[in-house]
Amino acid sequence: MSDVYLGGTGLACVLGDDVPSVLASLQRGGVLPTPVAVAEGIHWPVYALAPSEGDWTQRLCRTVCNVASQTGDWGARTVPLFVASSSLDIGFMEHEKQDLRLGGDLQDFAGVVARALDWQGPVFTVSTACTSALNAVLAAAELIRSEDADQALVIGIELDNRFTVAGFGAMQLLAPDRAQPFGAQRKGLVLGEAVAALRLTSRPARWQVAGGANVVDGRNPSGTEATAVHAMCRGALAQSGLQPGDIDLIKVQAAGSPVNDAIEVEALKQVFDPLPPLVSLKSAIGHTLGAAGAAELALLVGCIEGGVWPSVDYPLDASLGIALSKEAPQKLRNILLNVVGFGGGHASLVLKDAGP
Amino acid sequence: MSAWHTTAHFIAHPPPVDWRDDLARRIGRRPRRVGLWTELAMYGARCCLDAAGEAALPAGARIRVASQRGAWGATHAGLTQLDAGLPMPFTFMQSQPALMLAEVGRCLEWWGDASFALCRDAARTLQLAKLGAARDGLLFGIVEEERHGEPPRTEWWRLVPA
Repeated sequence: MSDVYLGGTGLACVLGDDVPSVLASLQRGGVLPTPVAVAEGIHWPVYALAPSEGDWTQRLCRTVCNVASQTGDWGARTVPLFVASSSLDIGFMEHEKQDLRLGGDLQDFAGVVARALDWQGPVFTVSTACTSALNAVLAAAELIRSEDADQALVIGIELDNRFTVAGFGAMQLLAPDRAQPFGAQRKGLVLGEAVAALRLTSRPARWQVAGGANVVDGRNPSGTEATAVHAMCRGALAQSGLQPGDIDLIKVQAAGSPVNDAIEVEALKQVFDPLPPLVSLKSAIGHTLGAAGAAELALLVGCIEGGVWPSVDYPLDASLGIALSKEAPQKLRNILLNVVGFGGGHASLVLKDAGP
Repeated sequence: MSAWHTTAHFIAHPPPVDWRDDLARRIGRRPRRVGLWTELAMYGARCCLDAAGEAALPAGARIRVASQRGAWGATHAGLTQLDAGLPMPFTFMQSQPALMLAEVGRCLEWWGDASFALCRDAARTLQLAKLGAARDGLLFGIVEEERHGEPPRTEWWRLVPA
């Protein structure tokens, strides 16, 4: 059995095209979402990637190559590649004529990504809505633990498409202005675009992927279930050989939903007593759906290593009885990252600082 | 765990004419607001578990589903609705693999580790599904809607470590 480490990260999101530019933007106070029209007279805010030249596929390939290159040199590129996405290539399909749409299959998107990277190894697609990237990390970690691979690349991708925005809008899950996780005036989630890459490796590095858990609870397909939050946290802790008191920071789901944010807090309080410091990243980059697990992990590690921390410029909901940390905790050994999503998906990952 | 035992293998390709009635009888209700792809998955998963002689999937088991085309019909319908400026919430939901996993879990009276993954090499998808699985094993399915004359398919395996 091999241990699994995070050997490198890459990120492009609303804040910038790489981790240094993302952190610089965060330090300046971040950026606001931009309105996206999904139908006549219907607009929703989205934390979008900066506009760039080319068609949808060209932008995909360019962004993926940029983000993957941030994780270092991959040599012959024969190790497994995991492409995690909720919307896959639906943004491309929107621009196709109706009778040409969906002529291929669900693996075509990962095939385009692999060709852009000149990837020679096995290519997997993972699509479980908002938990896609964390599930890809869990699967890649199992390959490395079992010594079937010594490295793997996980890429979470959510690019521009009206289909997803319109779908979430039709489900009445979106806020009309901006994301306010745990906010007193929170009105729903705000979607975001991102491409994030995680290099997982058996070679020791500072951050160890100590364990994780995935729990699907279909009783409430668009909501958070307290028992599933308990199960994902406890499962991730058990696989990591940790107790609740060992966790020094929780990266919360907190998408800004009036109901789900409250359920998440109550469920976390039932597992962690007292609650460790909490950090939320969705007010900075939005909810990047299938990319969220990779994008928020890359951003959080970047913040810790870069000495930058997301600010909260809106009042929190006092009834929740929580605070969001204003800086990185001084003692920061074990971090729990939680992602909860559409379809009853709940996933947790424990990241351990294995440094001296 | 390198050795696995297949306790049940169920295949419907195509499903029988009355498969929807059969599903309703097996789970005690008619699925509501789910798409064809999800319903096919529910039918195959439930039949496979029945063939294995298990009333419910054990909590420690995991579910893995693969599909080349996924919820093709719902996705196509959703794009058409988008073109018309009338996106409908249930059509969008039906296009999502995550909703299929939720409904399959519900019809097996189960919640736990479920995921949707695929690879051009189907053997690798199954190999990945087995890695790290617990003693309760795995319920693995391949589900496809009808397309270009190819009949719908729902094929499932109940696998446990030997």
